[in-house]
Amino acid sequence: MFPSTIKVYIIFLIVFLLQSTAYGQHRTITSKLNPGCKDCGLNSTLIYVKAEGLVDTIHQIWDFTQGIPTMILAVGSGNSSIDINWSGSKPMNFSMLEKPHYSYATAIDKIYEYNDLEDIGAFDVNRPYRIQSLKNVSWELKESVLTSKKVMVRLRGTLRDKEGRGTVEMKLEYVNFTDYARTLPHLIHNANNTLVDISLVNLTTSRHFNSSRFAVHLVLVSEDLNNLTMHSVTRKSLDDEHTPGVFEIIEINSPRLWFTGSGGFLQFRPVAYVESQRNVASSTLAHVSNFTKTSLPQWSTLETFYEGYDKMSLLVQDLVVSFGEPGDGFYKQHNYTAWSYTLGYGWPPAPSLSLMGVMIISLGITVLMALLGAGCVMFVMRCWCRKTTSPSHPSHLTDEDSLERRCNGFRTI
Amino acid sequence: MDSPLSSDLRSSQLAQSSWCHPANKVHRFLALLLMCFLCFGSYFCYDTPGALADNFKGDSHLNTSQFALLYSIYSWPNVILCFIGGYLIDRYFGIRLGTIIYMIIVTLGAIIFATGVYINAYWLMILGRFIFGIGGESLQVAVNSYVVLWFKGKELNMVFGLQLSFSRFGSTVNFWVMEPIYRWVANYYGGYERLGVALFIASLTCVGSLICGLLLGWMDYRAEKILGRREEHNSEEPLRLLDIVHFKPVFWLVSVICVAYYLAIFPFIALGKLFFERKFDFLPQDANTVNSMVYLLSAALSPFFGILIDKTGRNVMWVIISTITTIGAHFLLAFTFFNPYLGVIILGISYSLLASGLWPLVALIVAGNQLGTAYGICQAVQNLGLATVLILAGVIVDRYGYFMLEMFFLACLFISLIAAVLIYIVDSANNGVLNMSPSTRESITKQCDDENDDETANLLDHEHGSEQEVTDSRDQTSSIQNQPPLVQRDLAQSQSDRIRSRYITQLLPNTNIPERQ
Repeated sequence: MFPSTIKVYIIFLIVFLLQSTAYGQHRTITSKLNPGCKDCGLNSTLIYVKAEGLVDTIHQIWDFTQGIPTMILAVGSGNSSIDINWSGSKPMNFSMLEKPHYSYATAIDKIYEYNDLEDIGAFDVNRPYRIQSLKNVSWELKESVLTSKKVMVRLRGTLRDKEGRGTVEMKLEYVNFTDYARTLPHLIHNANNTLVDISLVNLTTSRHFNSSRFAVHLVLVSEDLNNLTMHSVTRKSLDDEHTPGVFEIIEINSPRLWFTGSGGFLQFRPVAYVESQRNVASSTLAHVSNFTKTSLPQWSTLETFYEGYDKMSLLVQDLVVSFGEPGDGFYKQHNYTAWSYTLGYGWPPAPSLSLMGVMIISLGITVLMALLGAGCVMFVMRCWCRKTTSPSHPSHLTDEDSLERRCNGFRTI
Repeated sequence: MDSPLSSDLRSSQLAQSSWCHPANKVHRFLALLLMCFLCFGSYFCYDTPGALADNFKGDSHLNTSQFALLYSIYSWPNVILCFIGGYLIDRYFGIRLGTIIYMIIVTLGAIIFATGVYINAYWLMILGRFIFGIGGESLQVAVNSYVVLWFKGKELNMVFGLQLSFSRFGSTVNFWVMEPIYRWVANYYGGYERLGVALFIASLTCVGSLICGLLLGWMDYRAEKILGRREEHNSEEPLRLLDIVHFKPVFWLVSVICVAYYLAIFPFIALGKLFFERKFDFLPQDANTVNSMVYLLSAALSPFFGILIDKTGRNVMWVIISTITTIGAHFLLAFTFFNPYLGVIILGISYSLLASGLWPLVALIVAGNQLGTAYGICQAVQNLGLATVLILAGVIVDRYGYFMLEMFFLACLFISLIAAVLIYIVDSANNGVLNMSPSTRESITKQCDDENDDETANLLDHEHGSEQEVTDSRDQTSSIQNQPPLVQRDLAQSQSDRIRSRYITQLLPNTNIPERQ
């Protein structure tokens, strides 16, 4: 019994360790800030990340030069690379010697402010709302880490238009190992995906709305036939260890991923945070709208990147992610909303039990087995004792010594 | 104070057949109704945070740790008060005044808590729950005393069962009605104010219970006059803490179960609403309904399980079985997406079964005159465990989520299972008294009594006994020498009876839910 328990325990551990290592394929990272740009200043940020793997290379472009935060992920052969031609401080052209096998991109081009009169939380296109474009946002690079293991940038964009003011903060992070993000909702990021975190800070609300909430408008682009559609998958996990109180994980998979297993995806938890100190109490719901077909934003980096692509082989869809839940006091309560997602290639990583969880479960099974074993041994011993003593003691209750012992036991065990 | 003559006069003036006469069945039924409602408010308000858990998060912006502290703080005063609550009634207050004092404390606590929520002052919420806790547990002791006083020798078992089932029903009703009340209040108030107003409405149940307490007090006063009954004020110490040193290891194993098992029940109910909402996508009202199932099943099934254990005995086996089924229930809730009703119903059944099997064990382990101390210790360690673990449970949810909380509950249940198996092993080594069938137990008791009569006769011949009771089963010689003289035995017995009446809820088959157990 015990060896089998130990065996189960060891198998458990091996599976756990294998699963942990299998997530992230190792990649060699090279990253550059504004590569080849001579006129770029402090307010011009484009990061090019090249992650070389054994069979392919993932190229990532994180662009903030044209206002709209844009993340492009292109997969090429082992030694491929992207060259960027600049027009002043803006990218004019992206060129690769060899056309990428596949690309997937997202851009947050607009912020929606909606009047949630019924205090539902989710954005409803039939209710009053107004749009703030991010085209004119100027992004200031606040922090950057460009090493061979990790690439991270933190930027602050300032909204200054007639309709409203405020700050949009973004953090992008890519690592060449598998890990859970340090901050809630602790999404898994590995060598195949990038963590994107967006915070809407102190945005002024419309005078005409008294129940203002904000939502972000996401444009998704995938190299797929444009008569197909993205697939939204909501997976339930038993374990909320990494994101306390949230058991769901939402994935938006490109048709190619859906059909072949090698496409782009967006992964996130349906949770946002209304305070910079993220915890269960400061969490609120993130709602995802349905997809609609759209076109590439004009004068954007996406348009530049996909210039020359056949429109029929480019799937462009958008969706709105809104934040809030009934009774939370709307955006004005905290003037802060933060949300995270990962953008990646290949099958989205699945959260797994932590080592502590595995230990507790296996320990529990061990204890249960041990108790069962001890119980069985006790039972067998008692039966054996009764058998061996019964011929000389036909009726133990009438035996004086036995009665004495029993009475004592009865009084004060 | 009336003379015995005047009371006789009144008694004779009022015919026993009249429903106004305290000895009349209808009159006693009215008293029973009031007794049932006495604890209703306290039980109702105890779980109001649990029934409005998500609103506490949304309106008062409490994190789970802060929320769990609302429950934890209730248990802190009861680590001590479970020893002295009844003593204060016996020695100083008397049942009537004691009940009213405790009920006022409970009501005050509920109102202060609601005020704290209304003005969103966390410290005031904590203070309110602390005051509420001071009164809550002692109130149950007072009501138990009332029940014994009014129904001693007549329907006592049934009355205890009914009274405690009704109290438990108070918790269930709370889970059913608080969400609709909150939604109704939300039409008129917003933010934390609506939560505060909902809690003010909830505290009305305590005011109702207080009115019941006053009415019952008046009825009891009247009954005392008419029946010429005198309330006994005992001056003896009700509990002797030094008795602890005489308790055998098996008692401490039972205490371990008292703590470890219940840690997987009460914190689960306290934090359960959000768990059902988030993991199983239940609406708040549905989450409350499933959460209330444990209490509902406990109220409904305890009498039947009491009868079952009365008929079958083998308490340790039932304790082991119910612990294993509780593990199964938590396993279903943690590792599957099966309808949570399944897990919770198993949990409710197991919980009721365990209570029926576990609490009478104490009476079989500990000598009669140490019973008060033994139950006091069980309750004290249980309250201490709840007080600390509820805080820990909140931290676990905030940092590691509900899955790890379930792991923690399972770990507690495994500890409880180990303790139960150890009890079985130790008991088996002592001829299996705790796990006997009632018939075997009865035959041995009878034979032991016969043997004791002989021993007593011997002791009367040589009056050399010490004041101590027999405590060591292994040393037969010393146990005989330590037997008290008959008179002292009677004194000890009378004191034991008094303590027994206080803790009788734990012993009776259908009333095995002491205080918050």
